Amino acid sequence: MEQCLLMVRKLQAGYDRRQVLQDISFAMGSGELVGLIGPNGAGKSTLLKAIRGLMPAEGEVCIAGRRLGDYGPQELARTMAYLPQQSKVPFAFTVEQVVLMGRSPYLRWWQRESGRDRQIAAACMDYMAVRGLAAMPLNSLSGGQRQRVLLAKVLAQQTPLLLLDEPASGLDLFYQEELFRFCRDICAAGRSVLLVVHDLSLAARFCSRLLLLGKGRLLADGVPAEVLTAEWLSEAYGVPVQVGFHPVTGHADIYTERQGKRQGMLPGQGEAETQ
Amino acid sequence: MRSARLHFPLVLAGLVIWLVLMVVLSLSWGQMAIPFSHVADSLQTGMGLGTAGQALPNEDAVIWHIRLPRTLVGFLTGAGLAAAGVALQGLFANPLVDPGIIGVSSGASVGAIAAIASGLTAVSLFALPLCALIGALLAMSLTVALAWRHSRIPVLTLLLAGVVVGMFLAAATALILTAVNESKMQEYLFWTIGGLDYRRWEHVFLAAGPISLSVVIMCLLARQLNILALGETEAKAVGLPVTRSRLLFLLLAATATAAAVSISGNIGFVGLVVPHMMRMLIGPDHRRLLPASVIAGGAFLLLCDTAGRVLLTGTEIRVGIMTAFVGTPYFLYLLHRQQRME
Repeated sequence: MEQCLLMVRKLQAGYDRRQVLQDISFAMGSGELVGLIGPNGAGKSTLLKAIRGLMPAEGEVCIAGRRLGDYGPQELARTMAYLPQQSKVPFAFTVEQVVLMGRSPYLRWWQRESGRDRQIAAACMDYMAVRGLAAMPLNSLSGGQRQRVLLAKVLAQQTPLLLLDEPASGLDLFYQEELFRFCRDICAAGRSVLLVVHDLSLAARFCSRLLLLGKGRLLADGVPAEVLTAEWLSEAYGVPVQVGFHPVTGHADIYTERQGKRQGMLPGQGEAETQ
Repeated sequence: MRSARLHFPLVLAGLVIWLVLMVVLSLSWGQMAIPFSHVADSLQTGMGLGTAGQALPNEDAVIWHIRLPRTLVGFLTGAGLAAAGVALQGLFANPLVDPGIIGVSSGASVGAIAAIASGLTAVSLFALPLCALIGALLAMSLTVALAWRHSRIPVLTLLLAGVVVGMFLAAATALILTAVNESKMQEYLFWTIGGLDYRRWEHVFLAAGPISLSVVIMCLLARQLNILALGETEAKAVGLPVTRSRLLFLLLAATATAAAVSISGNIGFVGLVVPHMMRMLIGPDHRRLLPASVIAGGAFLLLCDTAGRVLLTGTEIRVGIMTAFVGTPYFLYLLHRQQRME
């Protein structure tokens, strides 16, 4: 078997006494763009955190053939970059300062960023089209700009594997697609991306592979057409899900149906009817 | 838009000039006015650089035995408190945090009252500062121990633990206070207001080591402080050992605060206002913010002390009172300005 970039075997994780992930096993190679899908609370974010070593987990996670525990903190940060779901940057740190923090895994404690680190940060800002904002405080930017800056920071870590937790949330239509095109491009360049996606049709269009999580278990793993079936999705989301494909674009068209009539009524609604 | 920050070397030069000015004024002004030329001559003579023969012997005595130690204690205290304020504001990612937040000040108070009540202060000049130092460091350890969870130090828990420890120790101080006689109570009150009067070279020697050591280490580690400010997850994601870094900065901030408080009593507002003021001038990068705040903190304290000496004739306003009088309106102004900008 060829050596995988990321291998997860029998992973279990949870918070206090609540088990969130059970028996997760999969492997990922170089150049793959893998989308992690599933309903809210299925454990998608927890899985990313457990892989990154940000929370205690049982089972085995191997990166490039070495176990997670064998890596030092900085070495791990040179292997995997992680973009949290929400990152709050306090004070008025500028865009450039934030992107340069992505070079931290390469610096010893007494070192400052070198000219080369600045070049790499500048190249990453160029790539995300935020170089012109370099001197602006991050907190003064719009949601889309902020997200691109944080992606530039993650990119500046120059890791073979990127873990992105809902990077498209809060972005408008154009930037959502732009984000997926960005992921596709860097995967074509040999990096691998594992990202949490909520928009299933975007996931189907751009990801080379999807992992479907439901109730803490890995339900399906395969190319989008294999995973996005009415059966799997209905099981994961717990409601009947219809899957169709758009006749013109061929894009997946996915929607849910309610079962039965809505229970109860809006306050005030009943009174009006009885009068 | 505040993107056009002032040029850093320019700000630094301005701060150094302000500091030198405050040092000269604090040596020259007071109950006995000494002309600047005599101050310069006396300093020159004392350092063995020859003499112009201008300074009178009694002026020499005032400068070398009274004012210089006082000025140095003032600078060390201001610099230490401001540096600790910067470190803790960065660590908590909160601009409203001050060095008292981790229980250090209340620990120092317990140490001080214990030294006074037990009569140790009559035995040695070092008794009170040393007891205050020990009390401050013990209080910090207690705060961290209470916040410790599975080899992590969550900042919110740390904040709450600091408040709880502070309240508990304030009660302990009050308990001891009710048992001591009036003159000891007076002695404690005098210490707790915070002042620089009757400071001697012993006080300078006691605090110079711990304060300069922690300030230098903080400045060297300032890049880590930037990353710590982003919060636990972000800091871990770029490979920073978060718990270790947090512990180190807590220890450094506590040492600087404890040393400052032990030689000059509880002085508020310096550790809160100065970092805030400097952040508005030069931005949040701690590699600039720390050195700038150290200089500004020292200069600010000397300003307050000198002003307190000359404002009223015949008596002086203690520096702890002055920092609050100067600091409160300035801080309110800053808050007002910030709200308007948001």
